[in-house]
Amino acid sequence: MSGSGDNKVTGTTKTPADFLKSIRGRPVVVKLNSGVDYRGILACLDGYMNIAMEQTEEYVNGQLKNKYGDAFIRGNNVLYISTVNRPLADGA
Amino acid sequence: MATNNPSQLLPSELIDRCIGSRIWVIMKGDKELVGVLKGFDVYVNMVLEDVTEYEITAEGRRVTKLDQILLNGNNIAILVPGGAPEDAE
Repeated sequence: MSGSGDNKVTGTTKTPADFLKSIRGRPVVVKLNSGVDYRGILACLDGYMNIAMEQTEEYVNGQLKNKYGDAFIRGNNVLYISTVNRPLADGA
Repeated sequence: MATNNPSQLLPSELIDRCIGSRIWVIMKGDKELVGVLKGFDVYVNMVLEDVTEYEITAEGRRVTKLDQILLNGNNIAILVPGGAPEDAE
């Protein structure tokens, strides 16, 4: 992947740019700085972390508040973008 | 050990050495994350895997996310290689 000077990890290094390329079309969780959670299918995004999603659910304090067919999120509000493989488990 | 300058370790070098291992990310607010560092960029946006998210107010371990996350570097305050002390899986 990225052949930099000192190669400690071979082939599993993933830069943010690689990550963004690989997650389109996948179900994601987007958390904003405000703490609000959005779960849906990632339609597209850009380098500013602006996000377009489909079938979006809005969770405030873990509770489902709204559902949006399409949602656009301005990137400056985004805390993280996470892919989801299995259903999320709260606490332990 | 380092190049010509006597023991100069750049911050980005330190983070780079952490790729592949666990790292503890402390944000500006009452939030911390622990996960395996997969990569980062010049803005210290980070790709983390197998992440546990901690809310440091009401003593609550919040969400454990699998797969990968892209963490916005905007709110990152401190990075600690090696993970958090009570990081028990």
